[in-house]
Amino acid sequence: MITLIYAAIAIAFLILVLGLLRKTLSHEPDECVTDSYSPPSTANGRWLHLSERIFDPTDARWLAEELGFPKLANALIIDRKRLAIRWLEALQAAFDDLVRTPEISPSEAPKAGSVGSWQMLWLTFRFKISISYALLAVKVFGPYHRLIPSFSWVPFSRRSERSFRRPALANSRSSH
Amino acid sequence: MFRVFPLLYSYIIYTFCGCLAMYLIYWLDPQMYPSVYWIYFLIGILAEFMVLVEISDQIFRPLPAIRNLGRALTIVISAALGLIYMLPVVLWSPGRRPALLGFALRASVTKAIILAVLFYVARHYGSRLGRNIGGLMLGFSIFVAMNVAVYAGANAFGSELFAPTLWVMGPLAFALCALVWTISLWELAPLPSMNTISTAPGRDSDAVALELTRFNSELSKLLHK
Repeated sequence: MITLIYAAIAIAFLILVLGLLRKTLSHEPDECVTDSYSPPSTANGRWLHLSERIFDPTDARWLAEELGFPKLANALIIDRKRLAIRWLEALQAAFDDLVRTPEISPSEAPKAGSVGSWQMLWLTFRFKISISYALLAVKVFGPYHRLIPSFSWVPFSRRSERSFRRPALANSRSSH
Repeated sequence: MFRVFPLLYSYIIYTFCGCLAMYLIYWLDPQMYPSVYWIYFLIGILAEFMVLVEISDQIFRPLPAIRNLGRALTIVISAALGLIYMLPVVLWSPGRRPALLGFALRASVTKAIILAVLFYVARHYGSRLGRNIGGLMLGFSIFVAMNVAVYAGANAFGSELFAPTLWVMGPLAFALCALVWTISLWELAPLPSMNTISTAPGRDSDAVALELTRFNSELSKLLHK
Protein backbone atom coordinates (compact mmCIF):
# COMPACT_ATOMS: atom_id res chain seq x y z
CA MET A 1 0.00 0.00 0.00
CA ILE A 2 2.77 2.42 1.00
CA THR A 3 4.58 1.58 -2.27
CA LEU A 4 1.49 2.53 -4.25
CA ILE A 5 1.28 5.84 -2.39
CA TYR A 6 4.92 6.62 -3.14
CA ALA A 7 4.49 5.57 -6.78
CA ALA A 8 1.49 7.91 -7.02
CA ILE A 9 3.58 10.68 -5.43
CA ALA A 10 6.33 10.09 -8.02
CA ILE A 11 3.88 10.21 -10.96
CA ALA A 12 2.06 13.26 -9.59
CA PHE A 13 5.41 14.98 -9.07
CA LEU A 14 6.48 14.33 -12.67
CA ILE A 15 3.14 15.61 -14.03
CA LEU A 16 3.45 18.73 -11.86
CA VAL A 17 7.03 19.33 -12.97
CA LEU A 18 6.16 18.96 -16.66
CA GLY A 19 3.22 21.34 -16.28
CA LEU A 20 5.27 23.98 -14.46
CA LEU A 21 8.24 23.53 -16.78
CA ARG A 22 6.07 24.11 -19.86
CA LYS A 23 4.91 27.42 -18.41
CA THR A 24 8.34 28.59 -17.22
CA LEU A 25 10.02 27.69 -20.53
CA SER A 26 7.38 29.30 -22.76
CA HIS A 27 8.21 32.77 -23.98
CA GLU A 28 4.69 34.04 -23.54
CA PRO A 29 4.65 36.65 -20.78
CA ASP A 30 3.01 35.48 -17.58
CA GLU A 31 -0.51 36.62 -16.79
CA CYS A 32 0.61 38.01 -13.45
CA VAL A 33 3.32 40.08 -15.12
CA THR A 34 1.39 41.50 -18.06
CA ASP A 35 -1.49 42.94 -16.18
CA SER A 36 -2.77 46.14 -17.72
CA TYR A 37 -2.86 47.59 -14.21
CA SER A 38 0.46 49.22 -13.34
CA PRO A 39 1.10 49.42 -9.61
CA PRO A 40 2.29 52.74 -8.18
CA SER A 41 5.85 53.26 -6.92
CA THR A 42 7.13 54.60 -3.61
CA ALA A 43 8.46 57.63 -5.48
CA ASN A 44 4.86 58.71 -6.07
CA GLY A 45 4.32 61.17 -3.20
CA ARG A 46 0.59 61.63 -3.81
CA TRP A 47 -0.02 57.92 -3.58
CA LEU A 48 1.93 57.69 -0.31
CA HIS A 49 0.09 60.72 1.06
CA LEU A 50 -3.15 58.84 0.38
CA SER A 51 -2.18 56.24 2.99
CA GLU A 52 -1.97 58.97 5.66
CA ARG A 53 -5.55 59.97 4.86
CA ILE A 54 -6.81 56.37 4.79
CA PHE A 55 -5.21 55.36 8.09
CA ASP A 56 -6.01 58.64 9.89
CA PRO A 57 -8.95 58.18 12.33
CA THR A 58 -9.57 61.96 12.81
CA ASP A 59 -12.44 62.19 10.27
CA ALA A 60 -14.35 59.26 11.77
CA ARG A 61 -13.85 60.58 15.30
CA TRP A 62 -14.99 64.07 14.26
CA LEU A 63 -18.16 62.61 12.71
CA ALA A 64 -18.94 60.43 15.72
CA GLU A 65 -17.92 62.63 18.64
CA GLU A 66 -18.20 66.26 17.53
CA LEU A 67 -21.04 66.09 14.98
CA GLY A 68 -22.82 63.15 16.63
CA PHE A 69 -23.31 60.90 13.60
CA PRO A 70 -22.13 57.46 14.80
CA LYS A 71 -23.81 55.58 11.92
CA LEU A 72 -22.17 57.80 9.34
CA ALA A 73 -18.84 57.36 11.17
CA ASN A 74 -19.28 53.56 11.01
CA ALA A 75 -20.01 53.74 7.27
CA LEU A 76 -16.87 55.82 6.82
CA ILE A 77 -14.80 53.29 8.80
CA ILE A 78 -16.09 50.41 6.63
CA ASP A 79 -15.28 52.37 3.49
CA ARG A 80 -11.81 53.28 4.80
CA LYS A 81 -11.17 49.63 5.68
CA ARG A 82 -11.91 48.64 2.09
CA LEU A 83 -9.62 51.40 0.84
CA ALA A 84 -6.88 50.41 3.30
CA ILE A 85 -6.98 46.81 2.06
CA ARG A 86 -6.81 48.00 -1.57
CA TRP A 87 -3.93 50.34 -0.72
CA LEU A 88 -1.96 47.56 0.98
CA GLU A 89 -2.64 45.18 -1.92
CA ALA A 90 -1.45 47.84 -4.37
CA LEU A 91 1.72 48.30 -2.28
CA GLN A 92 2.26 44.54 -2.41
CA ALA A 93 1.72 44.50 -6.19
CA ALA A 94 4.21 47.36 -6.60
CA PHE A 95 6.71 45.44 -4.48
CA ASP A 96 6.22 42.23 -6.50
CA ASP A 97 6.82 44.26 -9.64
CA LEU A 98 10.09 45.51 -8.15
CA VAL A 99 11.12 41.97 -7.21
CA ARG A 100 10.50 40.89 -10.82
CA THR A 101 12.78 43.66 -12.10
CA PRO A 102 15.72 42.13 -13.98
CA GLU A 103 19.23 43.49 -13.70
CA ILE A 104 20.48 45.73 -16.53
CA SER A 105 23.53 43.58 -17.22
CA PRO A 106 22.67 40.03 -16.11
CA SER A 107 25.85 38.62 -17.66
CA GLU A 108 27.91 40.64 -15.19
CA ALA A 109 25.62 39.91 -12.25
CA PRO A 110 27.43 38.91 -9.06
CA LYS A 111 27.23 35.25 -8.16
CA ALA A 112 24.56 34.08 -5.76
CA GLY A 113 25.81 33.99 -2.21
CA SER A 114 27.24 37.52 -2.04
CA VAL A 115 26.47 39.56 1.10
CA GLY A 116 24.48 42.20 -0.82
CA SER A 117 22.24 39.53 -2.35
CA TRP A 118 21.49 38.04 1.07
CA GLN A 119 20.61 41.50 2.43
CA MET A 120 18.23 42.11 -0.46
CA LEU A 121 16.64 38.72 0.09
CA TRP A 122 16.20 39.58 3.78
CA LEU A 123 14.53 42.90 2.85
CA THR A 124 12.19 41.05 0.48
CA PHE A 125 11.34 38.47 3.13
CA ARG A 126 10.82 41.14 5.81
CA PHE A 127 8.48 43.12 3.58
CA LYS A 128 6.45 40.02 2.71
CA ILE A 129 6.01 39.14 6.40
CA SER A 130 5.14 42.74 7.37
CA ILE A 131 2.62 43.27 4.57
CA SER A 132 0.91 39.94 5.30
CA TYR A 133 0.64 40.92 8.97
CA ALA A 134 -0.63 44.43 8.11
CA LEU A 135 -3.28 43.02 5.73
CA LEU A 136 -4.41 40.52 8.36
CA ALA A 137 -4.58 43.19 11.08
CA VAL A 138 -6.57 45.58 8.85
CA LYS A 139 -8.97 42.83 7.73
CA VAL A 140 -9.57 41.66 11.31
CA PHE A 141 -9.41 44.88 13.35
CA GLY A 142 -9.94 47.63 10.77
CA PRO A 143 -7.71 50.51 9.61
CA TYR A 144 -7.66 52.46 12.89
CA HIS A 145 -6.39 49.73 15.15
CA ARG A 146 -2.75 49.91 16.23
CA LEU A 147 -0.84 47.52 13.99
CA ILE A 148 1.90 46.99 16.59
CA PRO A 149 0.50 46.23 20.06
CA SER A 150 0.81 49.04 22.57
CA PHE A 151 2.82 48.55 25.74
CA SER A 152 1.17 51.49 27.50
CA TRP A 153 0.02 49.18 30.33
CA VAL A 154 3.65 48.86 31.39
CA PRO A 155 4.20 51.72 33.94
CA PHE A 156 7.70 52.77 32.90
CA SER A 157 6.92 52.63 29.18
CA ARG A 158 3.89 54.92 29.67
CA ARG A 159 6.11 57.52 31.35
CA SER A 160 8.80 57.32 28.69
CA GLU A 161 6.22 57.42 25.90
CA ARG A 162 4.67 60.58 27.35
CA SER A 163 8.02 62.29 27.60
CA PHE A 164 8.77 61.22 24.02
CA ARG A 165 5.44 62.42 22.63
CA ARG A 166 5.22 65.81 24.36
CA PRO A 167 7.70 67.66 22.11
CA ALA A 168 6.16 66.04 19.04
CA LEU A 169 2.67 67.22 20.04
CA ALA A 170 3.97 70.72 20.74
CA ASN A 171 5.57 70.81 17.31
CA SER A 172 2.42 69.65 15.56
CA ARG A 173 0.29 72.27 17.39
CA SER A 174 2.68 75.07 16.53
CA SER A 175 2.65 74.03 12.86
CA HIS A 176 -1.18 74.31 12.77
CA MET B 1 30.11 25.14 -19.12
CA PHE B 2 32.27 23.62 -16.37
CA ARG B 3 32.78 27.11 -14.88
CA VAL B 4 29.00 27.63 -14.61
CA PHE B 5 28.21 24.21 -13.11
CA PRO B 6 31.40 22.91 -11.42
CA LEU B 7 29.56 20.79 -8.83
CA LEU B 8 27.28 19.22 -11.42
CA TYR B 9 30.20 18.08 -13.58
CA SER B 10 32.12 16.92 -10.50
CA TYR B 11 29.06 14.88 -9.49
CA ILE B 12 28.78 13.29 -12.96
CA ILE B 13 32.50 12.42 -12.93
CA TYR B 14 32.17 11.06 -9.36
CA THR B 15 29.22 8.86 -10.36
CA PHE B 16 30.91 7.39 -13.45
CA CYS B 17 34.25 6.83 -11.69
CA GLY B 18 32.45 5.49 -8.60
CA CYS B 19 30.49 3.04 -10.74
CA LEU B 20 33.66 1.71 -12.35
CA ALA B 21 35.37 1.46 -8.93
CA MET B 22 32.36 -0.46 -7.56
CA TYR B 23 32.58 -3.01 -10.38
CA LEU B 24 36.32 -3.40 -9.72
CA ILE B 25 35.79 -3.90 -5.97
CA TYR B 26 32.94 -6.37 -6.64
CA TRP B 27 35.26 -8.34 -8.91
CA LEU B 28 38.38 -8.15 -6.73
CA ASP B 29 37.00 -8.23 -3.16
CA PRO B 30 33.27 -9.12 -2.89
CA GLN B 31 33.48 -9.16 0.95
CA MET B 32 34.34 -5.48 1.07
CA TYR B 33 31.80 -4.47 -1.59
CA PRO B 34 28.66 -3.82 0.62
CA SER B 35 30.43 -1.43 3.02
CA VAL B 36 32.17 0.49 0.23
CA TYR B 37 28.95 0.64 -1.79
CA TRP B 38 26.95 2.22 1.07
CA ILE B 39 29.67 4.84 1.65
CA TYR B 40 29.70 5.66 -2.08
CA PHE B 41 25.89 5.77 -2.05
CA LEU B 42 25.65 8.17 0.95
CA ILE B 43 28.29 10.52 -0.48
CA GLY B 44 26.27 10.47 -3.73
CA ILE B 45 23.12 11.57 -1.88
CA LEU B 46 24.98 14.48 -0.25
CA ALA B 47 26.49 15.43 -3.61
CA GLU B 48 23.00 15.48 -5.15
CA PHE B 49 21.92 18.07 -2.58
CA MET B 50 24.96 20.20 -3.48
CA VAL B 51 24.07 19.93 -7.19
CA LEU B 52 20.55 21.03 -6.32
CA VAL B 53 21.97 24.10 -4.55
CA GLU B 54 24.06 24.88 -7.64
CA ILE B 55 21.08 24.57 -9.99
CA SER B 56 18.86 26.64 -7.68
CA ASP B 57 21.48 29.43 -7.69
CA GLN B 58 20.92 29.91 -11.41
CA ILE B 59 17.12 30.12 -11.36
CA PHE B 60 16.76 33.67 -10.03
CA ARG B 61 20.14 35.01 -11.21
CA PRO B 62 18.69 37.82 -13.37
CA LEU B 63 16.48 39.10 -10.52
CA PRO B 64 18.72 40.94 -8.02
CA ALA B 65 16.12 41.19 -5.23
CA ILE B 66 15.72 37.42 -4.96
CA ARG B 67 19.01 36.20 -6.42
CA ASN B 68 19.62 33.94 -3.40
CA LEU B 69 16.04 32.74 -3.03
CA GLY B 70 16.72 29.40 -4.74
CA ARG B 71 19.69 28.65 -2.50
CA ALA B 72 17.80 29.77 0.63
CA LEU B 73 14.78 27.58 -0.20
CA THR B 74 16.97 24.56 -0.94
CA ILE B 75 18.96 24.89 2.29
CA VAL B 76 15.96 25.64 4.53
CA ILE B 77 13.82 22.78 3.14
CA SER B 78 16.77 20.34 3.27
CA ALA B 79 17.60 21.29 6.86
CA ALA B 80 13.98 21.21 8.06
CA LEU B 81 13.08 17.90 6.39
CA GLY B 82 16.49 16.48 7.30
CA LEU B 83 15.71 17.00 10.96
CA ILE B 84 12.05 16.03 11.10
CA TYR B 85 11.74 13.52 8.25
CA MET B 86 15.11 11.96 7.34
CA LEU B 87 16.89 11.75 10.70
CA PRO B 88 14.22 9.69 12.54
CA VAL B 89 14.44 6.83 10.04
CA VAL B 90 18.22 6.64 10.55
CA LEU B 91 17.91 6.73 14.34
CA TRP B 92 14.98 4.34 14.83
CA SER B 93 15.30 1.73 12.08
CA PRO B 94 15.76 -1.93 13.16
CA GLY B 95 18.92 -2.53 11.13
CA ARG B 96 21.54 -0.88 8.92
CA ARG B 97 19.98 -1.86 5.59
CA PRO B 98 16.41 -0.64 6.29
CA ALA B 99 17.91 2.53 7.76
CA LEU B 100 19.92 3.23 4.62
CA LEU B 101 17.05 2.38 2.26
CA GLY B 102 14.62 4.48 4.32
CA PHE B 103 17.10 7.35 4.34
CA ALA B 104 17.53 7.10 0.55
CA LEU B 105 13.74 7.11 0.03
CA ARG B 106 13.18 10.10 2.30
CA ALA B 107 16.13 11.99 0.77
CA SER B 108 14.56 11.47 -2.67
CA VAL B 109 11.17 12.71 -1.44
CA THR B 110 12.91 15.77 0.06
CA LYS B 111 14.62 16.48 -3.27
CA ALA B 112 11.27 16.12 -5.07
CA ILE B 113 9.70 18.64 -2.67
CA ILE B 114 12.59 21.08 -3.20
CA LEU B 115 12.28 20.79 -7.00
CA ALA B 116 8.50 21.28 -6.91
CA VAL B 117 8.87 24.37 -4.68
CA LEU B 118 11.62 25.81 -6.94
CA PHE B 119 9.48 25.29 -10.06
CA TYR B 120 6.48 26.90 -8.38
CA VAL B 121 8.39 29.94 -7.05
CA ALA B 122 10.15 30.41 -10.42
CA ARG B 123 6.75 30.49 -12.09
CA HIS B 124 5.32 32.82 -9.45
CA TYR B 125 8.07 35.40 -10.00
CA GLY B 126 7.97 34.98 -13.79
CA SER B 127 11.58 33.73 -13.92
CA ARG B 128 12.17 32.10 -17.32
CA LEU B 129 14.35 29.05 -16.79
CA GLY B 130 15.90 28.72 -20.22
CA ARG B 131 17.01 25.52 -21.91
CA ASN B 132 20.00 24.76 -19.66
CA ILE B 133 18.39 25.21 -16.25
CA GLY B 134 15.00 23.85 -17.35
CA GLY B 135 16.68 20.72 -18.74
CA LEU B 136 18.79 20.23 -15.62
CA MET B 137 15.73 20.47 -13.41
CA LEU B 138 13.71 18.15 -15.63
CA GLY B 139 16.49 15.55 -15.70
CA PHE B 140 16.87 15.73 -11.94
CA SER B 141 13.09 15.43 -11.51
CA ILE B 142 12.96 12.24 -13.62
CA PHE B 143 15.85 10.80 -11.60
CA VAL B 144 14.24 11.71 -8.27
CA ALA B 145 10.77 10.44 -9.27
CA MET B 146 12.19 7.08 -10.40
CA ASN B 147 14.23 6.82 -7.20
CA VAL B 148 11.15 7.49 -5.05
CA ALA B 149 9.24 4.65 -6.76
CA VAL B 150 12.22 2.25 -6.67
CA TYR B 151 13.18 2.87 -3.02
CA ALA B 152 9.55 2.65 -1.93
CA GLY B 153 9.39 -0.78 -3.61
CA ALA B 154 12.67 -1.81 -1.97
CA ASN B 155 11.38 -0.70 1.44
CA ALA B 156 8.08 -2.52 1.02
CA PHE B 157 9.23 -5.82 -0.52
CA GLY B 158 12.61 -6.10 1.19
CA SER B 159 15.98 -5.53 -0.41
CA GLU B 160 16.61 -9.25 -1.14
CA LEU B 161 13.45 -9.59 -3.24
CA PHE B 162 13.82 -6.19 -4.81
CA ALA B 163 17.59 -6.34 -5.39
CA PRO B 164 17.42 -7.33 -9.11
CA THR B 165 14.98 -4.47 -9.84
CA LEU B 166 17.15 -2.05 -7.85
CA TRP B 167 20.17 -3.30 -9.78
CA VAL B 168 18.56 -2.28 -13.10
CA MET B 169 16.33 0.67 -12.15
CA GLY B 170 19.00 2.66 -10.25
CA PRO B 171 21.43 2.94 -13.17
CA LEU B 172 18.50 3.35 -15.61
CA ALA B 173 17.23 6.38 -13.66
CA PHE B 174 20.67 7.95 -13.73
CA ALA B 175 21.12 7.14 -17.44
CA LEU B 176 17.81 8.84 -18.28
CA CYS B 177 18.77 11.84 -16.17
CA ALA B 178 22.21 12.03 -17.84
CA LEU B 179 20.54 11.85 -21.28
CA VAL B 180 18.24 14.82 -20.51
CA TRP B 181 21.19 16.73 -19.06
CA THR B 182 23.32 16.03 -22.13
CA ILE B 183 20.60 17.28 -24.49
CA SER B 184 19.89 20.41 -22.44
CA LEU B 185 23.57 21.27 -21.86
CA TRP B 186 24.68 20.48 -25.41
CA GLU B 187 25.28 24.17 -25.95
CA LEU B 188 25.34 27.06 -23.49
CA ALA B 189 21.99 28.79 -23.99
CA PRO B 190 21.98 32.39 -22.78
CA LEU B 191 19.35 33.36 -20.26
CA PRO B 192 16.11 34.53 -21.89
CA SER B 193 16.19 38.15 -23.00
CA MET B 194 15.05 40.85 -20.60
CA ASN B 195 11.68 41.49 -22.22
CA THR B 196 10.73 37.85 -21.81
CA ILE B 197 11.65 37.86 -18.14
CA SER B 198 9.61 40.86 -17.11
CA THR B 199 7.72 43.79 -18.48
CA ALA B 200 9.46 46.01 -15.90
CA PRO B 201 12.45 48.00 -17.19
CA GLY B 202 15.84 46.74 -16.00
CA ARG B 203 17.66 48.41 -13.12
CA ASP B 204 21.04 47.99 -11.57
CA SER B 205 21.41 46.09 -8.32
CA ASP B 206 21.99 49.20 -6.14
CA ALA B 207 18.82 50.88 -7.40
CA VAL B 208 16.81 47.77 -6.55
CA ALA B 209 18.37 47.62 -3.06
CA LEU B 210 17.49 51.29 -2.48
CA GLU B 211 13.91 50.75 -3.61
CA LEU B 212 13.58 47.65 -1.38
CA THR B 213 14.72 49.74 1.60
CA ARG B 214 12.20 52.46 0.72
CA PHE B 215 9.36 49.96 0.55
CA ASN B 216 10.34 48.55 3.95
CA SER B 217 10.63 51.96 5.57
CA GLU B 218 7.22 53.06 4.19
CA LEU B 219 5.62 49.93 5.61
CA SER B 220 7.46 50.28 8.93
CA LYS B 221 6.15 53.87 9.25
CA LEU B 222 2.63 52.57 8.75
CA LEU B 223 3.07 49.73 11.24
CA HIS B 224 4.48 52.03 13.93
CA LYS B 225 1.64 54.57 13.66
